[in-house]
Amino acid sequence: MKKYWRCFVCNDIHYGINPPEICPTCKAKNAFVEISSEESQKIVSATRIEFNRQKFLNAIEKFAEKNEFQVNPDKEKVRMLLDGVFNNEQNYGLKYCPCRLITKDFKEDLLLVCPCNFLIHDTYREKGECWCGLFVRRKK
Amino acid sequence: MNNLIMFYARECPHCKNMMPLVDKLEKEEGIKLEKLEVWHNEKNADLMRSYRSVIAPKCGGQLRTPTFFNTETNDVLCGEVEYKKLKKWVLKK
Repeated sequence: MKKYWRCFVCNDIHYGINPPEICPTCKAKNAFVEISSEESQKIVSATRIEFNRQKFLNAIEKFAEKNEFQVNPDKEKVRMLLDGVFNNEQNYGLKYCPCRLITKDFKEDLLLVCPCNFLIHDTYREKGECWCGLFVRRKK
Repeated sequence: MNNLIMFYARECPHCKNMMPLVDKLEKEEGIKLEKLEVWHNEKNADLMRSYRSVIAPKCGGQLRTPTFFNTETNDVLCGEVEYKKLKKWVLKK
């Protein structure tokens, strides 16, 4: 089961089965101690970060940069998909894929949060696109 | 109730691309598909979810849009497909 961990030097929060050996922020070694979900949420929610469409787009472009895929160059398609992603976040709480439907099983629906793990999907392997088409394999 | 359903989503580009093909097929064959939007209509979403055990195994284990579904035969076609493939699926007995 995943747990919450706090770096005792810089208060980095990590959510995972094991803590990182080296803190990715301050580089301290063996610095993580297990904490409660309440404590982690208090620390994290002290920093408010607005995430509008442009920020999300920047984030996924940066995410794609070092991968074999890119954000779809078809701007109109991306605009429509981001409409869906943000509507779903507003109506259902998370950035669910606009081309799939939630089952209402929260854990299962986490698989639909954009960007999803599309590299393992048949559509990406066969057509070089994630199911909705927001990400496409970069042409060599 | 019509036995042919198209589950679609308003902000799904594949669904948008399929719409004119569905319209063309309806005109050419004199049939009607019931088009149900699932992200902005909870009733339609619940209906799609109620068919999950039939639809999902044929669509990568998930509820994807667009999904064409025959409520009589439980036959499923999902994703953006060519006109020919859609027509063949719809006219299949």
